[in-house]
Amino acid sequence: MTKRQIWWLLIIPCVLVAAAMIASLLGVFQFSFRRFIPGSLSAGGFTLDNFYGMARPIYLLVILDTLLISFLTAVFCLILSYPVAYALVRTTKEWLRTLLVILAITPLFTGEIVRTYAWMLVLGTQGFINSALLSIGLIDTPLQFMYTRFGVVVALVHFSMPVMIILLATAIGHVNRDCEKAAANLGAPPLSVFWRVTVPLTMPGIIAGTVVIFAWTMSAFATPQLIGGGKVLMISNLVYLQGLSSFNFPLAAMLSLIAFIAAIGSLGAIQPIVARLERRVALQ
Amino acid sequence: MTGRLKYVLAAAILLAAVDVSQAQQKLVVSIWGGNWRDGAKEAIATEFTKRTKIPVEFITGGTMDRLTKAKMAGARPESDVTLTTSHVAYLYVADKLFQQLDTAKIPNLKQAYPEAVRSPYHIGLYSYVFTPAFRTDLMPKDFKIESWKDLWGAPVKGKLGLPDFDPSHIIVVSALLSGGDAQNWKVGIPMLEKLKPSIKAFYQSDATSQELIKTGETPVQVILSINAYHQMSQGIPLKVVVPKEGGVVGIDAIGINAGSKMTDAAHEFINVALDPKVQEKLCDIYKCSPMSSAAHVSPQLAALPGIVTSAEQLKHQILIPDEVRAKLLPEWKVWFTEHMTR
Repeated sequence: MTKRQIWWLLIIPCVLVAAAMIASLLGVFQFSFRRFIPGSLSAGGFTLDNFYGMARPIYLLVILDTLLISFLTAVFCLILSYPVAYALVRTTKEWLRTLLVILAITPLFTGEIVRTYAWMLVLGTQGFINSALLSIGLIDTPLQFMYTRFGVVVALVHFSMPVMIILLATAIGHVNRDCEKAAANLGAPPLSVFWRVTVPLTMPGIIAGTVVIFAWTMSAFATPQLIGGGKVLMISNLVYLQGLSSFNFPLAAMLSLIAFIAAIGSLGAIQPIVARLERRVALQ
Repeated sequence: MTGRLKYVLAAAILLAAVDVSQAQQKLVVSIWGGNWRDGAKEAIATEFTKRTKIPVEFITGGTMDRLTKAKMAGARPESDVTLTTSHVAYLYVADKLFQQLDTAKIPNLKQAYPEAVRSPYHIGLYSYVFTPAFRTDLMPKDFKIESWKDLWGAPVKGKLGLPDFDPSHIIVVSALLSGGDAQNWKVGIPMLEKLKPSIKAFYQSDATSQELIKTGETPVQVILSINAYHQMSQGIPLKVVVPKEGGVVGIDAIGINAGSKMTDAAHEFINVALDPKVQEKLCDIYKCSPMSSAAHVSPQLAALPGIVTSAEQLKHQILIPDEVRAKLLPEWKVWFTEHMTR
């Protein structure tokens, strides 16, 4: 078999997967411009009603909420994951590395629902935090963590951290230690070496991790559904609530389309910032 | 081909043929998972197989998943019989996913309440109510609910849990309390808006409803009576109340999928499900109300709030017509999400 034939053999599955993906997106696209017939599963003729309906305040608020929650999740995830990833790569103690790998990666194998339920037990009115604070007398009445953006972000950060840690650890692992040693030899204190050498050199990992977690969180469903308790809605929850569970498939398709555009649009909007950061790193 | 290989191939073909013929001889029933499947298996499927020698296979999923799958499968359904909520069954009927029933093949239907015949295509099997319930250990000692209006009272402020996947119960109740009905639901809007301070959270499924009660997050809930009784059986101090205006009745219905090749067996399955003895057993498991007037539930079950044992009692509950509910639910959901959840 020639090299060209092998190349074609490998490209065919990619083309098929891409074709299936594009076909389903086109299906969603055409369905979003169909008329909803109450009391029927079948959609009617083409209409722009679903599109105009998106101007309702509820949809705009949910889209803004989704962007805000995704942004906060990505930022806090980065802040909390970086030290863990750094310690994971740089520690010389084998037992500590093993412990960090177990602590950081095992949550990946427990699934979203299990982890979200665990957070419900921690954040609930009678949960771990409130019980502890009540028992030591710091508060008189339980604090409200559940059904708030705060609770949703906390659970989403925990859910996303393993992925961020993996991406950051890869980036930190690729840093040329000679650069850090050179900076130290020239008199830079450890903190300065970290901020002015290590962090810029790991910028590709930071950018990749932040973008991945932001985009990933945009489609979060189970965590905001359970922790948000219907009071904090993200786009996926709205698709389910307004579209699927009330049999209004054209509206669900339009909401999905808007979610897709919002995700692509926001990633496109941060692209110039990403490009600038990458240029700066390359220059350094 | 060697002689031995020929024999092996022949045996394999024979085994495959036997397998196919057996596959054709089983009745496939679509239902929700967990307790719902277990109850139907114990009460209906066991008796059906005993009478017909036809095994029953259950396929499970959520209400919407199964509806969507049925729609996609079209004339080649995955199941022969489907159990779902009555207003969702209306959608199966509207999209010709159920076939018309031959009532002559369901003799037990004669003993059923008139409300059991939801349409020529689907039959109500049992009923329950969506009604208020509260944790007795987490609410004041003197707290009680006599009317739906009590949900608007000060003791319930910030404690109420409601379903958001289907707000029809509270919308219709608010309309009734304001002098309207399901069709004329907008008269209840001022009342609904006044309920907002009472609402702590919304639940999206039976599981989250139970979780909110169990953890005490929402000590008061508008809850499916079957779920409430299930939780009480697990030791949770819960009190179910049917207000003087009645509970909002839910009926789970059964229909035969269009395109099923097991039509006779499917009719017999429905007939068995409506058998008074089977109905008694099913209702004892689910803690629900039978649809057969000939079914005599135990005095303990009959004494539970929301259990209906006569056509007269059923009339005192709030019953939303399937068609109205199926057609208005999307409108209710949009309004509810816009005005109540945020």
